[in-house]
This record gives sequence, C-alpha cells and structure tokens, in this order.
Amino acid sequence: MSISGETKVIPEIVKSTMNTSQTRREFLSSASGGFGAIALAGLCSGLQAASDNPLAARNGHHKAKADRVIFLYSTGGTSHIDTFNHRPQLIADHGKSITASRWLNKSGEYTRFLIKPRFAFKQYGQSGTWVSDLFPHVGSVIDDICVLNAMHCESDGHDKATLAAHTGSAQFARPSAGSWVSYGLGTVNQNLPSFMVLAPAAPYAGAQTWSSDFLPACHQGTHVMPGTDPLPNIQPRTRNTDLQQMELALQSRLNQSHLAQRSADQSLDARIRSFETAFGMQREAPEAFDLSKETEETLRLYGLERGATSGFGWQCLVARRLAERGVRFLELIDVGSSGNWDSHGDMGDHVRLANAIDKPIAGLLTDLKQRGMLERTLVVWTTEFGRTPFHEQVNHAGREHHNLCFSSWMAGGGVKGGLVYGQSDEFGILTSEGAVHTHDLHATMLHLLGLDHERLTFRHAGRDFRLTDVHGRVVGEIIS
Amino acid sequence: MNAYAKLWWPCAISCVMTWLLFNGPLCHAQSDEDFFETRVRPLLVKHCQECHGAKKQEGGLRLDSRDAWMRGGDRGEVVIAGEPDKSLLIQAVRHDDPDLQMPPNAEKLTAAEIGDLEAWVQRGASDPRRESTQETSKRLSLDQSKSFWSFQPLQAVVPPQDAEDRWSRNSVDAFVHAQLKKQGLSPVADADRRTLIRRATFDLTGLPPTPEEIEEFLSDESADAFKTLVDRLLDRSTYGERWGRHWLDVARYADTAGDGADYPVREAGKYRNWVINAFNRDQPYDEFVREQLAGDILALNGPPESYADRVTATGFLAIGKRYGYKAAPDYQYLDFGDAIDSVGRSLLGLSLGCARCHDHKYDPISAADYYALYGMMESTQWAFPGGEEQKHPSHFPPLVPPDEVARREKAKAEQLDQLDNEIVVRKRQRSELDPDSLAGGVDLGFEAQQSDKPIGKPWFSAGPIEVTSEAQSPFTHIHPQGKLGVRLGSGQPNEGLRYVFENGLRATPDRQMHFTIDFRSAEESKEQGAFRFYLGRGVVESLAVECSATATEFAIRNGSGWEVIRQLKPGTWYTLRLTIDPTAKTYSGIVGTLEDLTVFQEKQTGPNWDGVVDCFICDGIGHVAGAACARDLDNLGLRETAFGVPGSGPIVPRTVEPDAEQRMAVLDAEIKALTERRQTIATTPLYPVAYGVAEGSPTNSRVQLRGEPDRLSDEIPRRNLELLGGELVPTGSGSGRLELARWITRPTNPLTARVFVNRVWQWHFGKGLVASPSDFGSRGELPTHPELLDWLAGEFIASGWSVKSLHRLIMNSRTYQLASVDNDVNLVADPGNRWHWRYSRRALDAESIRDAMLAVSGRLDRNVPESHPFPAVDTWGFTIHNPFYAVYDSNHRSVYLMVQRNRRHPYLALFDAADPNQSIASRQPTTTPTQALFLMNSPFVHELSEGFARRVSAVPGDEQAKTRWAFETAHGQIPDDGVVRDAIAFVSAYREKLASKDSTGELEIAAWAALARVLLTSNAFLYVD
Repeated sequence: MSISGETKVIPEIVKSTMNTSQTRREFLSSASGGFGAIALAGLCSGLQAASDNPLAARNGHHKAKADRVIFLYSTGGTSHIDTFNHRPQLIADHGKSITASRWLNKSGEYTRFLIKPRFAFKQYGQSGTWVSDLFPHVGSVIDDICVLNAMHCESDGHDKATLAAHTGSAQFARPSAGSWVSYGLGTVNQNLPSFMVLAPAAPYAGAQTWSSDFLPACHQGTHVMPGTDPLPNIQPRTRNTDLQQMELALQSRLNQSHLAQRSADQSLDARIRSFETAFGMQREAPEAFDLSKETEETLRLYGLERGATSGFGWQCLVARRLAERGVRFLELIDVGSSGNWDSHGDMGDHVRLANAIDKPIAGLLTDLKQRGMLERTLVVWTTEFGRTPFHEQVNHAGREHHNLCFSSWMAGGGVKGGLVYGQSDEFGILTSEGAVHTHDLHATMLHLLGLDHERLTFRHAGRDFRLTDVHGRVVGEIIS
Repeated sequence: MNAYAKLWWPCAISCVMTWLLFNGPLCHAQSDEDFFETRVRPLLVKHCQECHGAKKQEGGLRLDSRDAWMRGGDRGEVVIAGEPDKSLLIQAVRHDDPDLQMPPNAEKLTAAEIGDLEAWVQRGASDPRRESTQETSKRLSLDQSKSFWSFQPLQAVVPPQDAEDRWSRNSVDAFVHAQLKKQGLSPVADADRRTLIRRATFDLTGLPPTPEEIEEFLSDESADAFKTLVDRLLDRSTYGERWGRHWLDVARYADTAGDGADYPVREAGKYRNWVINAFNRDQPYDEFVREQLAGDILALNGPPESYADRVTATGFLAIGKRYGYKAAPDYQYLDFGDAIDSVGRSLLGLSLGCARCHDHKYDPISAADYYALYGMMESTQWAFPGGEEQKHPSHFPPLVPPDEVARREKAKAEQLDQLDNEIVVRKRQRSELDPDSLAGGVDLGFEAQQSDKPIGKPWFSAGPIEVTSEAQSPFTHIHPQGKLGVRLGSGQPNEGLRYVFENGLRATPDRQMHFTIDFRSAEESKEQGAFRFYLGRGVVESLAVECSATATEFAIRNGSGWEVIRQLKPGTWYTLRLTIDPTAKTYSGIVGTLEDLTVFQEKQTGPNWDGVVDCFICDGIGHVAGAACARDLDNLGLRETAFGVPGSGPIVPRTVEPDAEQRMAVLDAEIKALTERRQTIATTPLYPVAYGVAEGSPTNSRVQLRGEPDRLSDEIPRRNLELLGGELVPTGSGSGRLELARWITRPTNPLTARVFVNRVWQWHFGKGLVASPSDFGSRGELPTHPELLDWLAGEFIASGWSVKSLHRLIMNSRTYQLASVDNDVNLVADPGNRWHWRYSRRALDAESIRDAMLAVSGRLDRNVPESHPFPAVDTWGFTIHNPFYAVYDSNHRSVYLMVQRNRRHPYLALFDAADPNQSIASRQPTTTPTQALFLMNSPFVHELSEGFARRVSAVPGDEQAKTRWAFETAHGQIPDDGVVRDAIAFVSAYREKLASKDSTGELEIAAWAALARVLLTSNAFLYVD
C-alpha cells in the first residue's frame, strides 16, 4: 500500500489501522477451523491484489501539497457583500439606482437600488482581511485563510449551481469532486470510506451532489446523517459479537472454499475483503463518531455541548476525527434545501445561519492547526452563488440570487493564508480581477492534491471526461 | 469580466465604472445586424476576403460566411463571441503577436477599424451571412464515415465451415470457435447441469431455481434437456420482469420526474408494465421500438384493443429526466436534449446529444441532425408531470381513442348540466321560501344586517363601509320599504363591496337577465373619482356589464369604451335597471329618479363575456380616475324575470309560510347531496391516461448556437439523420415521429439490429461483442466478433425481430454453456475473456439479490402490484425546497420498487442499480463495505433469514437433510459432506452459545437463521457461475 507523502501527518493512525486489519484477518483465520490454511492463503493474495483495489492509496501526477480535503458547503447562496467582500462604495452609494440588464433570470433593463450590507465589517489578523460581523470567529483565524472574492459560476438556479459547485456540470449528471479525488488517489484507511458526506439533509439536487455517476461506485460519497444513528447498519444485529464472528467465520470458510476453485476472480476476493472492512467499520467507525473522549477544551473550540449528536460543530469535530483516520475527502453541508441561506425575504436570516457555522469552522481550523494537520489538509468553504447587491425597492430586506460574483475561501493544504485573491467592482456586481470560476476552484483543489485536472480523466460513453470538462485554471497565485 | 460586462451599467452613479461597462451596452443603440452591415462587412470585404474567401483559403480559413469562420482555420477557432481578447482574429489585427499579423505587410488596420472588430466580437459576433445548406451537407466526414464498420450495411454472413471443428454445436459456436482457434485459445469444459440451470434461471428470470426445478432438469436425460429448460423459462412471466428491467435501464426509467422538486409520476408504472408485457409476449423488436417512438400515432389506425398499449409505449420518450418548473416551454430544450440523446444511445448506439452545441466531434452527426430531431420533439405534446410552479400534472394522453374521449366528455358535460339544473331548481325553490330572499338573492336590501356595523355575510367587503339607516333608499319598487342601506367611504380603488349570487344566471336562449340597484353619492364627498358596478362571472373573471358614476355623472361601458349617459346631482338617490340580452350580447336600461329617467338601449356587453353573471362588485375603479366618492347603495336585484318599473309598488314584505323551515331543510339536504355528486363526477377521471406523448403542432426548429435556446440560427426541416438517409418528413404528416420510427427500424438501417443484438449478448454474457453497447460510433469499441454480430443481426431480422428466438440461438450454443472455471494458459492470453473461452462469472445485480432473498425465504409476492401509494395529487405542493421523497416497502419483485430519480432508493443505490438520470448501457457493479454492512446487519436480511430458517426447519428429515436443502435452495449446489458437517456443527454451536446467553426466543429458528444469513451473504449466493 503506497502512502508516500502522507506518512508525515498521520503515521500512527495508519499503523494502527493496518494492525487492526491484520488482527482481524488473524482472528477470522484462527476461528475458521479446518479452513484456516485457505484463509491465510487468501490473506496473501489479498495483499498482493491491493494494487487492484480501486480504493488503494496511490500517488497523484505530481508532488502533493495536501493529502485530504474538508469541503464545507453552505446551501442556498451566501451573500458575498455581507460576509467577505467588503465594498465601501456600496455602503456609500446605498439607495442610489443602477440599471441592471438581468433580474430574476430574465434579460431586460431594470432600474434597481443599491443596498448596503446590514452587517459591519472589521479588519482581522495580521493580514487585515475584512470580514463582516457575521463571521467573527472565522475572522479570528483569517490569517490561515485565503479569501476568493471574485468567484463566479454559470447558473443562478439552486439545483444547477449546486451541481456545478460539486460536479462541474450544471446540467448533466456527473461525478462529484470527492469521487474524482477518491478515483485519483484512493484512500489510506480501508476501514472507512474514501469520500464521506456529513449532512443533516440533502442539498438541492439531492444525492446527485455526491454521486460517483460513471466512476466506479466505490468512489461515491457515503452520506452520514448526523443524529443518533449516523451510519445505518453499523450496529451488529446479532445479539452479541461473538455470534456474529461465528457467522462471519463460517461465511469466510465457505467463501474461501468457493474461492479456492476460482482464485483468478478478484471480485470474489474483493467481496470477501469488503466484509472484513465492514467488520472493521463496525469497530472503527462508531469510535470515530464517538466524541466522548474529546476534552472539554476541544468541545468548547467547536462550540459543542457534550453529548450532542448533531449541529455543524458535531460535523466539524467528526470530520477532524475522520480526517485523522485517513478519510480522503470529507464534505460538510450545513443545511438542506429549505431554511437555508436563500434570504430572498430577509437578510436577517443570515445571522442564524452564520452563527451555526462560524464557531465550528474556526474551531476546526484551530484544532487542525494545533494538531499539525492543517498544513496538509485543504479546507474549502463555498456556496452555490452570492446575492444581489441591489433590489427593486430601496429598503428591501432580502437579496436575490447572484452568480456573477460571489465569495468562497480556502485554507491549509498549500494555500497562502491571510490573502485576499480576486476583486469585484465597487459594488460586488461583477468580478474585476482574479476571477475564479467553479472550474478553476476544482482545478486548484486537484492541483493541491497532486492531481492534474487535465489528466485526471475517465473514459465514458466514448469520451474522456474530466471534473473540469474543457475548462479550469489552476489559481497558482494562491498557492504557497 | 468582459463576458459579463455588457450585462450591467450604472446610471445615477458617475465615474465609478470602467469604460467597458459604459461602452458595451450603449453601443446596443444600433442593432447587431446594422452594426455588422455598416462597420464589419465592408471591412472584411476590403481587408480580409481576398485571401480568406471563396478563391483562397489562407491558413485554411474563410471569413466570407459565419459558418465558415465558425469552423475556424488551421489554428483553430478564430472568433470567440463576447471575448475579443481571446479571439485570434482580434489578436491578429492588433499585431500583438509577431507571428500572426493581419492584414500582412504592414497594412495594419486603423485603431477605429480594430475597435469596430473588437466591438463586434464583444457584442456576440452576430453575422447574418450563411453558407447554402447544399454546401454544408457535403461534409467530408459523412462520406468518410460510410466506410466505418457500424455504418456499413449488414453483411450477409455465412458461418465459418471448419471440418476440424468438433466443438461447435450451432452457428454461434462456429464463429466463436474460429476466433478461439485464431487466438490459440481452447475452450474450457462445459458447465455441469446444476451450474447451467442456476445460470439460465437467473439469466432469464432473475430468480434462483428451486430444488424441485433442479431435480426435474437433472432427471431429464433427453439430448435437448437444456433447450426444454430454456423454453420453459421463456414462458414464465418472471422472464419479462427480468428482461424488461434490462430495457428499463436503457430507457432511464423512474417513477419521479427528476426536476428539482422530483414530482411523483403515478402513470410511470404503466410504461414499466408495458415493457414487461412486451418481452413476455415476444413483441417483435421493430414494433416494440416503433410503438415507443410513435405509439400514439400508430394507435389511431390500429386495432382498438391495442390503443391503450400503444399510447402507453410512448412513455419511453416522456420518462426521461425533466428540468422544468412548469409546462412548456420552461427548460424544455433540456427535456428534448434528454429524449434525443436517449433515442440515439438506446436505439442507435449514437451519442446524438453531443450535437446539441456543435457538430459531433467524432461521428457524422451534425448540429443540423440534432435540430431536425428537435423539431419532431417540439412538434409533440408532452405530458407534464408537475413541477414547482405548476404543481398539477397536465397533458397526459388518454388511453382511449379521441372519439371515445369526446363521447365521454360529452356525456359528462350532459350529466353535469343536468345536475346543475336540478340544483338550480332546488335553490330557486328554497329562495322562494326564504323570507330574506328577494329579487334573486338573500339580503339584497341589507335588512338582515346590523345597523352601524361593518357589513357581514353573505356580503364581502374591504375598506371603509358601514350599514346605516341613513343609507336607506326611498325607492320601494324592488324591495319592501326597509330601514337599512350601506354606505361606502372613498377608500382604495380596489376596496368596496362584493356579492356572489348563489343562483348565478347563465345565458339561456330567449331569456333575459335583469339587474337593479339604487345609489347616491354622499353629498359631502369631495372625491372626484368614479365608483363602478361590475356584473359578470366571478371576481372580474368575465365581465358582462360595467356602470360607473361620479358625484355628477353616470357612465356605462359600451363594448370596450366608456359612454356617459347622464348628469347626476350629488346627494340624490337614483335607481338603475338593466336588461341584458345574452344572445345578442347587448343590454338596455334606465337610470334616474322617478321624475327624471334616462333610457339607454342596445349597448354592447363585455366583448369576452362568457354568458355567466354570478357576481356583483362595487369598487373604486370607474371611468374617472382618482379616489371614488363616498356613496350609499341599497335594493339590489338579479333575476331572469323583469323587475317592476320605478314608481310601481310598493312591494309588500313576504309572508313566512308555516312549514318553510322544514321545507328549506329538506331542500338544503338535497342540494348538498346533489352538489357532492356533482363534485364526484366532476373530479373522477373520465378515462385512464399515460405518461407519454401526443401529436402537437408540426413545426421546424432552429439551430441553437452552442446549445443556448436564445441564440437561434438556421431553421432545420424535420428529417432523418443524414447518416441514415436524411429523408424529409413529408408535409402534412405530423411531428415526424412515425417516420423516424420507421427509418430507425427499417432493416436497411445498419445500426438498430446490431445495437440490440449486442445488448442481448451483453445481458447474457456480461459484456457485449461491442464493449460499448450504447456507442457504436468512432469513439466506441470495435466488435470482437464482427461477423457473428452481423450474422446474429441478420438472423434476428429474419426471425421477425423475435427476442425469444435470439435467446434460444444464444443460449443453446455451447459458448453459453461453458463452465466458468479458470485456465492458466488462457488467463494469461485473454484475462478478460474477450474470446469466450469460458463463461464469465457474474455478480448478481441489486434486483436479483433482493428477489432471490425474498424467493428463498418464502416471502416473495409474485403478483403485479397496484400503483405506488403516492400522496393524493391535490395535496402536491412539492418544491425544490421541499421535494418529494419516499421509500415504499414491499415484498414484490424489485422491478416494481418505486424508483426515485433525485434521491435514489437507498437499497438500489447501494447495490448499483441503474441511475435513472440517463440511459444506462451497462451497470458498474461495485463491492463496498457499506454493502457488506447491509448484508450483515440490515433488518431486511435478518427478517428474510428468519423466513428462510422457518422453511429450513420445516424440511422433513434430519439436520443433514435440512442443511442440504438449505444449501441447494440458496446456492443451487449440494456441498460435500465435510461442508455439511461444518454447517451442522455451526448450527449446534450457535444454538448452544445462544442458549448460554439468552434462553428466550426460538433458539432453533435463530440458529438456522444464522446459517441462512451465511448462505444468503456468501459468494456462492451473490455470484453466478
């Protein structure tokens, strides 16, 4: 199993994982009576076959700066001019009119009124990056963050833009970025899925956002719903584990005897191994999701009450634990397709939504840094689009969808901290320099992971597909 | 930024935007075409076309038509609309690059000329110059493509004759053997009988053979025992459930629409059942295809008993992923894109969808081909499943012929009419008994209201209003002298008073409608605007008559204009009487005081009036703008008999008959019952419908540049793909779908039979002779056995496109009956078994795992289920914020599970069932730990294991007999004694261990259930040799 480039950060975890797996093998073998010898033979062939395992860890195209991704997604469209894109002119010209040639997805000439953010901005950190009062805790770690203030994407519809942010395509079913990363790099811990999604509800477009689509389905995101039963079927249903071990031992003997006459068929071996991993997950995944051993200090960092089984703090802390255990790509979604950042009626909604994620995100970055993991963990925060800096009435309390300019940020994993990259015009209507399209964000993510977005391809339906389709630019300016 | 710059510019704010933000849009004062004609065309002619035109094409580039420059030159694309900086043309004229300076030889354009070209590109590079279509159709790639294997006509192939071939049993084998020999491979031994029956039974029915079936097959010693078995399996209805499911993968079947709100489609299952039945009755494949593309058209001329089936078949087109929030044309270009791409991939093995934005890069499919088919889609009426904006389904085609639809609709209308009449009669009778009911309604004289209060039922009001004795009218020719009237303040224009007549009047020949009201403006009112009286259907849904008054003037609407009838004095009571002739659509009237009446005649009713009057409104929207004056109203009336003339009367109060209350209660009950019956009849569907298509208005579509529906280019006639002949849809023949269906299924089409035969091969062997079953184009895989493919296609057509015959041909080959064992030499030479030296072992798919578990546990419900328990349609309010999502448990076969498009069924998604978002050529089976967790710990597997255990424990005989039966039922094989002993030892050890921990419950069943779980989750169950 090739794990070069990663051993620096999580050697202990990886070692313990491998030990566990061997212990389990030995257990199953020793419990298998007359079939022990065959089971051991299976073990050897299993290790030899590791390179055929589509999830086996492997190197990318070039030296990676990051080993894993934690992708934070805010559903509904977070306003850029109320969070990270400080536009003094917008505040100064509040109430003045402009002519927009697009409104609510229709062309035409519309007189609209500029509306200032209702949240004050402050400069944070050594870098002096402007952040609004919606995100004071994120502000406190801003020197680790590179803000992208000239993001843009091609759709201002929720489901289309959500798919674009995840799969690169606003229209067609395509694999999710996490699936591409899993496909490109595999994963170091075979006891856990390579791509996990922690989300209380599906965003717009549903599970298509973490689908592997035409990529082999082992790369699909494993959706974990916060709550008391985050992983369905993880709990053994037999009355106690030694009974289940008896079952698995008999199953192993039958399978080994079946395999003995069919040894060239690796899918049979893969199935046998999947039970072993599942057995490992039964043991390891609940532990990864068990926050009881986390200190009060850590819980406080994430703003988490002891015993809580949901909330973005829970998602962030579980994400850190899963990252420690080698999960390659983690996506955290804050809310589903209702009650989200889609503040058409009242931008005051942003307060509740920002409160829910501000401290957890800052806690995650701080915790990763304290543990020496931030250096090789790429943390990305994004949303489907921004919101209009203008509206029909001077005092309208809400904002509409705005895909021509919005904000996202990246941290850790080879990204320059304390940087603001990209500018919009004075009002936050259009990008003016350093524009970063969703495709560019994806290209950069892959680049940091050691993958060349133009070479990470999959042949499907007669053509080589990419996460970035025929687009994408690695934003070299933000890479340290 | 340039691409978006033209979208925005500031107005009230100066000096804050760059010149581009100002300049771009301001240029739009001149139309794009004018700009091109006046600034660009002369420039291109003068400086460019000498070398880049018809005579010379330097650098492979022509600039004398839009089509030409869109193709670009040797250096690629020269103009990128909206992006001057990225356009080679602009770079060249700017002389930025020393290697690319145009025009050459220091003839650099002036800054103004360069600016014009930049502006032209910036605004989208509009160019009206087109090449003639003749010229484009001569595309070289089409000619070249004729030699590509899959586009050549089917070859008449004779199976190889090899005297040394002692291996082959039929012609399929002869082809396979010839290739094996050529590759130096020798086939492995034949599969044993147990393996064969398990393989064939799963293959044809998706279920395992029972021990009895195995026994029957094993004991058949005749030479054609396997042939008999195949015939028997093909006769089962479970065959259609298995092979129908294969087709549903290709047809991207789902039970929900796939728009953001993922609306449920109640009728989707009819198409699914049609597919299953089509396989079961061995419907000829060509007919199967024609009905799916044009069943609605075929139905009109076919036998009546096939009508419903044929319309249902068009579900193939309708069933794709939908994008719209409301019915056409909302995002329909994406729906059509899905349909065209699915027709291409599933029937022709062509990626037609690639030609949406540009000519296909590799295959001879032009954008014109795409929009030729697009026209057929646009000429079609599509069932709309419901969406965020229009939440109810619409345009579902009826499953009975049009004349029957008309007959039923007529009968229904008559029934409703009759009920309406019965209700009207009773309401009239009732109003005659009601002392408050006079002049056509209850309380039209306001006497049932409370004084000095806002008005209550049955009136409806908004704004300042008061019931008061001061507003009592002096006239007594309509209502008896009363005490109360109503006073309306000025209020907002849309405020006022409304009355809905229970017994509204509808136009009846030879009957008139009569209306009356008394009114006066408040003497002290200073408002100058008018108030109006509206009469018509509903709240201004259909206007019959409108009158309007200020304090000083009375007007009526005559047709579409206002006409002033007379002057009024503020503070004076007037009475108005109207007589409407609904047949002539005219009305007459009188208005005035007793002493001073003005008559008007033959005025036009509202031009669009539908003949119903059931609503009166008095609001402030009259013939004079401004706030309406305050006014008093009293004594309304509406009925079909004439009212007394002003001055007649006085009307005496109605006497209450002694049994009136009782009789009214009886009538109320009757009215309620009749109304309920009417509601039932009105809402009960008259005929079943399908999720399919019907003919719309024939229209040709225009090419959408880069697939963007608002960037339209040339109109393309509806026609066949050029590759398949290019014939035009004859004028007057409708959408062209029937023609398309015939073009696709004519035997000379090189693709249709080849593609389907290859699919059947793939579904039997796991891999097609062409490994890219939905791509027979130049980017697809080449066939491993081209002659075999053509021979099979020829036999298939010759058999009358019989799919069951094709199964027999393939399954009775020795190739199909090979063992799946390893062979070291062959494994090295051909690890992927391309040449069929063995039968490739296959993993059971999602449906087969679930169905087999249900079957062996005795829990499988083999009936065809009723439709899914979707919520009632009138409760649908799904939005993308609150999408439809449901998982319905059942013990029916998995093909009948509710397939949800956006949020997949958790089990089907976990085990890699087809993603219904697109046509699936082959599933990608995976092996994941989450699947293993399901097999180990899910309630489903545990419940079924218990069911299996109960069957095992009921098997007569000792533990050995039970164990053997369990193995045979689950795996189709009886293991050797050592394994049986091991299993029995396991069961007893398990039982003991369980007893030592927990002596409650059924130990016996629990122990056998443990063995059942092992059997149902082991590889011998999950894979088929």
